[in-house]
Amino acid sequence: MSAAVALQTVSDVPTAGEESYFTVFAGGEAFGLSVLHTQTIFRITSVTPIPLGPIDIVGLVNLRGKIVTAVSLRRRLGIPVDEVQNSLAIGIEHKGENFALIVDEVGDVLTLDASMKVQIPAHFDPARSRFMAGLYKVGNLLIPALNIGALFDFSN
Amino acid sequence: MDELLRDFLTETTEHIEGAETQLVHFERNPSDASLITSIFRLVHTIKGTSSFLGLERLERVGHAAESVMGMLRDGVPPTQHSVTIILAAIDRIKTIIEEIGAHGSEPPGDDSAIIDALEAYYAAGSEAATAAAAAEASSNKAAAPAASPEPAAPVVEAAPVAAAVEQVKPAEPKVEAPAARAEAPKAEAAASQSKEGRSQGGSTANQESIRVSVDTIERMMQLVSELVLSRNQLLELARHREDDAIKTPLQHLSTLTSDLQDAVMRARMQPVGRLYANLPRLVRELSTSLGKSIDLVTEGADTELDRQLIEVIRDPLTHLIRNCADHGIERPEERLAKGKPERGEIRVSAAHEAGQITIDIADDGKGLDTERIKKKILSQGMATEQELHAMSNEEIYRFIFEPGFSTAQVVSNVSGRGVGMDVVRSNIEAIGGSVTLSSNEGKGSRFSLRIPLTLAIAPALIIEVAGQRFALPQTSVVEAVSLGKNYKDLIQNVQNALVLKLREEVIPAVELREVVGLGNNDANEESEKLAVVMRVGTDSFCIIVDGVADIQEIVVKPLSASLAHLKVFSGHTILGDGSVVLILDPAGIGANLGIEKSTEKKREQARDQNAQERRRLVMFRAGPGAPKVLPLSLVSRIEMVETNRIESSDGRLMVLLQGRLMPIVPISSHIDMSRPSYPVLVVATENRSIGLMADEIVDILEDKLEIQLASANSELVGSAEIRGEAVELIDVSHFIRMADSPGRTNPVPQRVLFAADDQLVRDMLCPALSAASYNLVATSIPADISELVNQFASFDAIILDADAPALSAPGFLRALKERKDPARTPIIGVSRTPTNRTSRIATENGMLALLSKHDRHALLETLAYALDAAADAKATSMEIAA
Repeated sequence: MSAAVALQTVSDVPTAGEESYFTVFAGGEAFGLSVLHTQTIFRITSVTPIPLGPIDIVGLVNLRGKIVTAVSLRRRLGIPVDEVQNSLAIGIEHKGENFALIVDEVGDVLTLDASMKVQIPAHFDPARSRFMAGLYKVGNLLIPALNIGALFDFSN
Repeated sequence: MDELLRDFLTETTEHIEGAETQLVHFERNPSDASLITSIFRLVHTIKGTSSFLGLERLERVGHAAESVMGMLRDGVPPTQHSVTIILAAIDRIKTIIEEIGAHGSEPPGDDSAIIDALEAYYAAGSEAATAAAAAEASSNKAAAPAASPEPAAPVVEAAPVAAAVEQVKPAEPKVEAPAARAEAPKAEAAASQSKEGRSQGGSTANQESIRVSVDTIERMMQLVSELVLSRNQLLELARHREDDAIKTPLQHLSTLTSDLQDAVMRARMQPVGRLYANLPRLVRELSTSLGKSIDLVTEGADTELDRQLIEVIRDPLTHLIRNCADHGIERPEERLAKGKPERGEIRVSAAHEAGQITIDIADDGKGLDTERIKKKILSQGMATEQELHAMSNEEIYRFIFEPGFSTAQVVSNVSGRGVGMDVVRSNIEAIGGSVTLSSNEGKGSRFSLRIPLTLAIAPALIIEVAGQRFALPQTSVVEAVSLGKNYKDLIQNVQNALVLKLREEVIPAVELREVVGLGNNDANEESEKLAVVMRVGTDSFCIIVDGVADIQEIVVKPLSASLAHLKVFSGHTILGDGSVVLILDPAGIGANLGIEKSTEKKREQARDQNAQERRRLVMFRAGPGAPKVLPLSLVSRIEMVETNRIESSDGRLMVLLQGRLMPIVPISSHIDMSRPSYPVLVVATENRSIGLMADEIVDILEDKLEIQLASANSELVGSAEIRGEAVELIDVSHFIRMADSPGRTNPVPQRVLFAADDQLVRDMLCPALSAASYNLVATSIPADISELVNQFASFDAIILDADAPALSAPGFLRALKERKDPARTPIIGVSRTPTNRTSRIATENGMLALLSKHDRHALLETLAYALDAAADAKATSMEIAA
């Protein structure tokens, strides 16, 4: 909660062409998640699985009286999941729906701008690259920015 | 969407609902200028704002309506016509606004019909005003010449203008029945004014208010629910501790939370008055179409109800009011004869009673005819005589809500087809309410709706299966059967499917764990399983669960879009302990089981059986001979049409019904236009309706319909026997064709008889006639000429070989001349060499013409002309009879 408030101030002052991103981790890899999408960061205490639902949807979570759909970033990317209980989730509202994106860890806030963007290499697995909004070069690291639209699209 | 546009939409939508009501009140109380002034102001604002926002359609309709309303505001008395066109304009404004709301821009469309009607009325009015002003100026020279038709003229001065407008009748279409205008004499208007004044008091109550979006309220509701849960957890903790220090503040917190919950719930409420807004107009329209005088009294407009429920009740309420107006209230003359006031009254009152809302719809009409209902129950086989005997009146009235029950002797367009009352009941029951009916014969009847205060909270069973909990709405649960040790007896596996044998019934069953894909773990078969029997529509089935954990009031929330495809669940909710559970959807589970399909099959079977067994038929008389029947399913309604409203145009009869021209086809040609009215069976075809004119409706009955004698006559399908009486089944398609074309370009080939002995002539002319798509019957001339003449009646036209000796014999010509042929079948003679003399003889003896055998074109032309003329003659002969 407090993290979300602190970050709000960061997102309030984006300079032209720049955007602030959280670094989130899943299976040891870092991803960028735009702070503009982020509402809150919280720990999941209990989750209600949805039988027959999409496998990547872990279940439903009560987030302060609001029911949110919990999606595992690991499952989305095809990384095995151990335990959902007590894991870290980021509250995101997308197309009027409330989601919680379950990640392993949340790291620093990065400021990325268009000049750091590089082409997504063609040989990336489409199952992964479809969740990427772009690939950024930060120092000697390559960090993919997450595509929220694709992450929370279960129409297939 | 633009902020400005959004504000405009919200505001206009809110005000326009009131405008309709005010307009209808104004029609009744023309003296209350404040009513029209406020509508005028509203439309003026709409016009102004839409011009500013560039909404052209709204602006134009608004402008035209404003002109007419300006006339009314300036004292021109409202007529039914003027109010109707303004209502139409308001309707159009509403539609456009809805469209803008949905799409953000004005939809394309043509409003010229409405605008023309308004402008025509306005033009007629202002012309009259000018005329009146001029007349006044000339007759009273002392008067200021400035008595202009300026709409700003004060009311007193406008009086002659009003009179003049009334004279300018041609501007008003004929729809305006004289009876309707006579309907609102001043005294009655004054009497009803007080009543309506009362009902108005509630809706116009001007309380201080602010506009809050529904989302905000919903969010508050969620937070309060959450707060209640937290409080419950705290209370639970406090119970186990002997700490008095926190007990008092906790108690205080608890009361405050409850109060807050109450207050937020109240914020969701809306006054029932919103439901009342459309009623005056509905009653006005019903009074006009039924020819009854009905006053509407509404009470308790400020009673509050959850906004969701208001929408659910709207349709049932409308239906019940229609029912009161149609079946309850008697015609004015009937009322006077019974010593009742001429105007009937429908009273709608709402009140808050013991945590429920009751809405009563009462009329002071004739009440229910218990004997007739009993008869109907018996004839429908819904109960036996003994059973009826033991029933109270209230119990008997309950049958009225059964599907397929209608006691209306004549089906009318307003109600009475036996659909509706059962729908009313199921709609009300779906929201956990109930509907009852009481009646006092001769004094009136009363429907009472009892409705829960809110939909948001519903009782649900919390069931458990494979360690997971689910909520099951209690409304569809019939019973829960403990299986326990009797599992094997009660549940059987038949053909790889489970069934529950309960009492005498066999109910389809399924393991819920299989439905939700939680594996079929048979290890805990020993545990106390339960079978929960549910009913969806008319079907029962049961789910087998591990147990029922609880019964809780749940706040239903719909599934989010990414889960909406899961048909087995209808939503989710947060339970008292803060955990989230999914809500099972009984209909979805049923569909999963294939119940839906089997229902359809059942219905199909029922339908097939119906075809062989019983059908609802309308029996009527049309012309001499056996009574005719038509399956009721083909008839969309039955109207009594006044003969003077039937007009003839282009050889067809038609009547203006609800603003549309409907062709009328007489079933029998024996029509007496001096009768005041005829029952007309309205049959809907693919794109329109046609009216079949009968002499009298005999009955509506249910019986087998087995055609025993097929008919050669195209008007009839055949004859059947019903209740020991021969009846004829009408062929609707024949009459639909007749409505499409009463003679010319008839898709049915016309039958032409060609009688000639000369084979060469027949060979020569027959192909030409057949090619012109006549249904040709060629015959040689029989020895007995009268045999030939007798055949004439079954043809549309006759062609005779005038050269044949038998046909030029004086005996034949006399027979021709003296034959009785009401249809006046045209007869055309053909001859090798027609002369003036032979032509004259032919025409003198009843032939239409004598033509050359070699002139095929002349023959075809004459034949076409003759058939057209005959069709026209048929149509005009009916007019002459009038």
